[in-house]
Parts: sequence; C-alpha cells; structure tokens
Amino acid sequence: MRFDTIVIGGGLSGLVSAIECARAGQKTAVVSAGQSALHFWSGSFELLGNIDGRPVIDNPLGRLGELSEDHPYRKIGEEKLRELLGKVPGIISDAGLKCTGSLDRNHLRLTPLGFLKPAWLTLGDYVSFAADQPLPWKKVALVNIYSYLDFYPRFLEYGLKKRGVECTISNVNIPQLDTLRKSTTEMRATNMSRILTDSAVDALAAEVDKAAKGADAVIMPAILGIYSDAPVERLRNRVSVPVWFVPTTPASVPGVRCQLSLRDLFIRLGGEFLPGDTVKGGYFEKNRLRRIHTVNLGEMPLEADNFIISTGSFFGHGLIADMERIYEPVFGLDLNVTGGRTEWYRKDFYASQPYMSYGVVTDSCFRPSRKGETVENLYATGALLAGFNALKEGSGAGITLATALHAASSLT
Amino acid sequence: MKDDLLSKEYDVIVIGGGATGAGTARDCAMRGLKTILIERLDFTAGATGRNHGLLHSGARYAHTDPESAAECIKENMILKRIARHCIEETGGLFVSLPEDGLDYHEAFIADCLRAGIPAEELDPKEALRVEPSVNPEIIGAVKVPDGSVDPFRLTTANVMAARMNGADVMTYQEVTGFLKEGTRITGVKLRSRRNGEETEIRGRVTINAAGIWGHRLAELAGITLNMYPAKGSLLIFGHRINRMVLNRCRKPGDADILVPGDTICVIGTTSTRIPYDEIDNMEVTPEEVDLLLREGVKLSPQMAWTRILRAYAGVRPLVASDDDPTGRSISRGIVCLDHEKRDGVEGFITITGGKLMTYRLMAQEATDMACKKLGVERKCRTAEIPLPGSEETPDDTRRRSHIIELSTEQKAAEDRHGSLTGKIVSDDDAADALVCECEQVSVGEVNYAIEELHVHNLVNLRRRTRLGMGTCQGELCACRGAGLLERHDKCTQRSLDDLASFLDERWHGMFPVCWGETLVEIQFTSWLYEGVCGLDPTEVNVTENPTQH
Repeated sequence: MRFDTIVIGGGLSGLVSAIECARAGQKTAVVSAGQSALHFWSGSFELLGNIDGRPVIDNPLGRLGELSEDHPYRKIGEEKLRELLGKVPGIISDAGLKCTGSLDRNHLRLTPLGFLKPAWLTLGDYVSFAADQPLPWKKVALVNIYSYLDFYPRFLEYGLKKRGVECTISNVNIPQLDTLRKSTTEMRATNMSRILTDSAVDALAAEVDKAAKGADAVIMPAILGIYSDAPVERLRNRVSVPVWFVPTTPASVPGVRCQLSLRDLFIRLGGEFLPGDTVKGGYFEKNRLRRIHTVNLGEMPLEADNFIISTGSFFGHGLIADMERIYEPVFGLDLNVTGGRTEWYRKDFYASQPYMSYGVVTDSCFRPSRKGETVENLYATGALLAGFNALKEGSGAGITLATALHAASSLT
Repeated sequence: MKDDLLSKEYDVIVIGGGATGAGTARDCAMRGLKTILIERLDFTAGATGRNHGLLHSGARYAHTDPESAAECIKENMILKRIARHCIEETGGLFVSLPEDGLDYHEAFIADCLRAGIPAEELDPKEALRVEPSVNPEIIGAVKVPDGSVDPFRLTTANVMAARMNGADVMTYQEVTGFLKEGTRITGVKLRSRRNGEETEIRGRVTINAAGIWGHRLAELAGITLNMYPAKGSLLIFGHRINRMVLNRCRKPGDADILVPGDTICVIGTTSTRIPYDEIDNMEVTPEEVDLLLREGVKLSPQMAWTRILRAYAGVRPLVASDDDPTGRSISRGIVCLDHEKRDGVEGFITITGGKLMTYRLMAQEATDMACKKLGVERKCRTAEIPLPGSEETPDDTRRRSHIIELSTEQKAAEDRHGSLTGKIVSDDDAADALVCECEQVSVGEVNYAIEELHVHNLVNLRRRTRLGMGTCQGELCACRGAGLLERHDKCTQRSLDDLASFLDERWHGMFPVCWGETLVEIQFTSWLYEGVCGLDPTEVNVTENPTQH
C-alpha cells in the first residue's frame, strides 16, 4: 500500500498531524497501536503553565526565552507557534468538541483533587476559571454517584473553600446503574457513560436537580458523553442550575471522546486508520525512509513519501528502557539519553525526573536522525521528542499539538 | 483513652511492633499480665516487614547451625497449626547446580534428618516436573517442608490476640527515655510521632523487642548492647515464577532463595554490615540489584524476563556474644538478656537476635523471664491456641464441601484475614466495590482495616490489606484509598499529605529497578497525580524519609 504520508501513532499528536495532511488532500494513513495519553486526559490542553515552579498566567508565549534553547517551542518560534496553535480550536470544533481559552492568557482548571492549575484550552463543560478573579459561585453542590470511588468531593470542597466557595456534598443514584455495581470493578467513568443516555440521563437529572437545591452550580464527575454531547446537553436542560464536570481517574470520558472524535474527523477527511497494529521497523535508502512493516500486515509493506512518528514517551512505548539502555524501538532513532540507569532518575519522586525529558533528537524541522544522519522524510512529534519536562512545565498538549501541526505544515 | 492508659500501671511494657514484640505482647496478655505494646512507627515497619517471608523448614541452617535448624522445624510445625491463614505450605527445594557440585548436597540430607527435618532426595527430572520454573541444569534436588509466611498478617494477628486478651496497643509512639527509681526501670517516656505530645507510662517490667533499634533503646537505659546491623536486600517480581520455595543447596550465600508468596515472589538476600546510623535509611544499591539478578537467574532462568516490581532492604539485628567484646563472634540464635543480672538494671529485658521463624519462641523466652520477675507462674499457651483468623470455623467445613462459591475478591480477603473475614462488610454493592484491583481489596476490607487494625495512613493500609502492593504500585488505588481514609480522618490536608507521601514511598522501592514496565508505570503515575490531578508538591507536606511511615 502506498500513501503520501504515513503517521505512526494514533494519539493526540498523530491524529492532529494526520488530520491536517488529509485536509490538504494527501493520501494519509495512521497506524495506531491502541490507547494513548488521551485516555487519561483531563479535559484541558496546557500550553505553558509553569516556569521554574511558578505558575504562568499572562502571555505564556512571551516567555519562551526562559526555556532551554533546544526546547521545541523555541525551535518553532513565537510567531509560528501563534499561527500553528491558532488552528487548534478550529480542529477541535471540526471534530465536534467545544473548548474555551486563549493563547494570550492561561485560565485555571479545577483538578480532581481540588487544585487549580493553569491551562490554555478547556472543554466547554469542564470547570475552569479566569485567573486572579474571585470564583463565580458562592455555593456549589458537589454531586457524586453512589458507590463511585473516582470522584473526591471532600478534596474538591477543600480546594474550593480556600477560594471562598461553600460546598454541599451528596451522593445520588439511579436504578439504571445498579447493573454495573453487580460487578465490583465496573463502576468506572467510561462504563457509566455508556449507560447514561436518553431516559437514564433524565432519571439522573431529576436526582441531581434535587441535590442542587440552593446551590449556584453543580459539579459532577465526568461520566457523561463518551460518544457525543447529547447526554450532557440533556442533563443540563433538566437541571435548574448550571452543571459542570471535573475529570476522573482513567479511563477518562473526555479523553476517549476526544480520541474518537479526532479519529472520526480523520476518517471523514478520507484518511486510512489502521487500529491495533504496531510498526516493527522500516527500510531506509540514502537517509530516506522508504517503507515500513507492521505486525498485522506482515510481509506487505506500507510505503509513503513522508512519515511522521508520534509514538509517545515510555508509557506510549515510544521509548523503551531496559536494564542497560534506553532506545527508540521502531527505527533506532538517536536519543538525548546520557549515562546508565542510575542517571535516569532522581530519588525524590517530585523532583524533575531526567527520564521525563528523554526523547528523540531532531534538527530544527523536527526531523530525527539515525546514527547521526538526519532522516530526510521522517518527522518526530509530541512526547517522543527530547528536551523538555512537559509535566513540570505544564506544556504537554501545547508541544504535542505544535509539533504535530509543524510537521504537517512542512509536508503540505 | 490515653488518660486511661496513663492512670494504669502495667505489669509489662513491650517496646517494638514487629513479630517479636507483637508475639511477646500476646504471650504476656495470654498469661494474664497487664500489658501494653508500644511501636514507634507502624507494626512491621522494621525487619519484620522487610525479609523473604520464608517459612523456614530449618534446612538452610541444618549444616551450619543445627540448633537453629531444630528450632526452625519445631516452630514451622507450630505456625502451621496456629497461624494457618498467614502461611502457605508450598514446600521447598534445595537444588544443586553444576557449579555447586554434590558434596554439600550429600551431607545436607543427613544434616536435615539429624535436625528432625523431613528431607527427601528428588531426581533432577522429578524436581523439574514438580517445579517447572527451576533451572533445568540442576544436578541434585532435595525436597523439604519450606513454605511462605506473610509477616504483615502474622504480626497483625498477634497484635489482635494481645488486644483480645486485654493488652493495650499504641503505634507512632517513640520511646524518648525511661522512668527510673534507683537502679530499677519503672516505665517509659513517650513522644507521639503524629502530634508531638509527650507522655509517660509506668510498668513493672519493660521488654525491649525493638530489633536493631533495641541498641538505641538500651543506650537510653544506660546499657551497652553490641548489635551489628546487617543489611539484606531483596527484589519483588510482578507475579509468581515458582510454586515451591527454591534454595541453592550450598553454604548460605547471596541471592540463593526465591520465595513465592501471595501474588508475587521474592529473591534475596544480600548481606552487608552497615554503620548503625544508616539503619533508618535503607536503600537498595544498583550493585545489589545486579547481584540479585545475576545469582537469581541461576535458580530460575525466567527471572531474566519477569517484571521486577520493586526492591527493598531490611536490617537483621545481629548480636555479639557478651563474652566477645570484639564483636567477631556473632550469634544468629535467640538472645534473651536479663539486664538485672547482666548490667544491674532491674525491670528490663532485651529479646533479640533470632529470626522471624522463631518469633514465638523468642516471645515465650522473654515472657517466661518477665513472669519470673513478676512472680507469676503461668504456662505459655501460644503454641496451642490458634491466632485470630486461624481458628477453625463452620465456614471451613462448608467450603470444603464446595457448597459456597466465593468471588475472587472474597477469596483474596479470606487469604488475608482468615476466619475474621466475616468482619468485613460485604452485604451491599458499595462495600464490595474494589478499591485496589491488582490485589482485590474492597471498600469493606479497607473500612474494616481502618476501624479495627490501627490504620492511620496509606502505608498502614497497604500493610494490612496489600492495597497498592500489586503491579500498578498504587497508581490507581492510592487516591481511592486516600478518599476512604479521609472519610474517617476528616482532615483533608493530612490526607493529601499522606497521598503525596505514599506515592513517594512507592517510588522509593521502584527507582532501584526503574526500567521496563516499572518506568512505564511510574511515568504514568506521575502524569496522573502531578498532571491530571494537579497534586502540587509545594502545597503538600511529603514525609521526607519514605521508610518512616
């Protein structure tokens, strides 16, 4: 099979670059091994939320000078970043999701443990606040589902109280969820979201509305709308005060929704999505990648003019560590790892862990190298890249999206 | 409650919440002595919770230390009766590799039989059939009644037995000094490690069962004990490789025992003398990891590609013989010291040395000595009466007749709590919901542990239930556990601090083996807690030394 561009990796980065290639009329394929970091997505995209342990609110893109020189943001530059990231709300909206936020100023998202963290874009139904302003509510009803363990109303109350918001806590139940409770592991967010449609939503809304008495707003766990906005709209229409959501521990309903929506957009644009397959390796000729082989397709190669690799970091298995070394398993790309395994970590869990900034080294166009030689038609994007600690910077989604869009713009 | 404790005068104060201390408190209480057990951290926080969990048959000592071997097999049989819910009778093999030769093997069988240990020679082919994970290159094999024992469960059961017999129990109370009248010790000064509060407790006899920390305690009492900390490091694998305990048939050395227990198996140990000031800072070094794996794969080659969950280290409390001031002649046996005779300090006993296997016997010796001092004549019954959880119940007979079908989480709970499982609420869906999926710990079990088993934090909860001990190392259950603990504690900040500290504690055992899936898991954990949940290390207080829970 032949394509113009083949993207290896079906997470946020892979899907977004593939969407842009397909939109530009390229024959595009995505080879996706399975779940990605989107499956524990918070419902917010971060751009740059932290520098040296201090939160960043105003003009995050004006702070690039404070990042290391080989940081992906600096390779792209402020102007180009604005242009590329400016496309994101449109792509999200084309995929059928709504989000709010601006490149000029971070807002704050409410985390499942009640902390407030800077964010760039947040899904429309999820709790977010303008920074440095009082919260818009005096009293909030925190509403959990009876026996559901992944929503922490007391932690949320603690965080909200610090900001002057009074909270009530209640558990509600509807009989439609009882079947899940028959199995001790089924009361999880994504399972509930599959049941919570149509009349089940009406039943839930009636209970939530009772619990909302006297409150300015309801905050609930993100357990609705895995396939569409309809259940959320339906619930909101039936509850007398605004209803907002807080993400849960994995699997994340907004994360699965986002992944499916982007995948569907890609397929609508004519893209070829190859799920459940893993790239084993490729054939190179004069510093160009000619074709790749996958587990499922066996001897049949996939050929393309250009390739994008977005296989993620360690948990995406884009990087593999064994006792002696860390390597990129698909093509053996060059990494920025130095030293043996004792150099990879710090003993303090909360320190900036060296392994977090390991990844593929590239030229200024994000083309990686093998044994020091740049591969001319291969682009690396997202968490696979070297040179930043996205967790400490609060920059994961921004880097993922910017490098994906940058690669796509180089190819189209 | 504290005022009640203060107004009492105890017959016996037992210091140390390991197996020996808990066992001593049980024995004292069963003999009708007014007893209090005091632990500076949590039960099993010392060497008790940091070993193989091997139910020795004694075979390991048959050649080098026949006396210990005979003690072991005797206690082995007793524990199988009184602590059956803490024990798994896996059986064990002593295997000889080509590099070991067969000389030791031949003497070994005779030594075992002399010590009263049933030892049966197996043809290497037969050994491979009964234990397929063993190195196929073995040239000799001997079957012995080794097994595994869960030291957390065993200690908890002893604490419960002590309490049921009227003993009081305090955790997170550190002894800061002794009350003295002349040359007699009449009690202890305590400081709470939870809130800093200082108290005093009076007792007629004080028993030092603090393991390696007993050295420091003795110093506080003005007594010199020559204790030598010997560090032993071990690795835990993500599942069971072997069915039976595997030992190398040679003089005891490094990394020559692989013990299956619960959902995992453990290889160990190394043995290194360390300076006394390092005992509160155990960390497994990269060299130790290399050594454990290098030697371990010789026992079972599968180890090379099995996921390592974590590494940990404990400190053996070795005691130098009193007649040898150089400290060269170290005893591995039980040491029970009457400080009145030895040092002229009345009302003070030290029980140390020994091993987990002989904790009951150690408790018996210390209690005998205490009884003598108190003029009490009562026989020790700890070898006959089952521990709480190990009693025969009507359920046992029902289960044996296969009438009751248990769910996997009920089976897991039964394994952990034995006949006390009935105390776990399991009659509604909310109580049955699983908190820890790896180890099948339900809300009901967590609540039971919080209410009945001295649980103040997530590490305590882990030791009582195995929550967070499985393949995800707390990644998905830590916040659920924190949520449930907070409902009881009602202090949200403390719960957040505890959650943050627990993750750091898990990491401490993971970084020595941080490659492969362990690195994948910890990166995911970091993203989940610091990322999605926004757990901000600047807004929480992390317990600085992860071994101090």
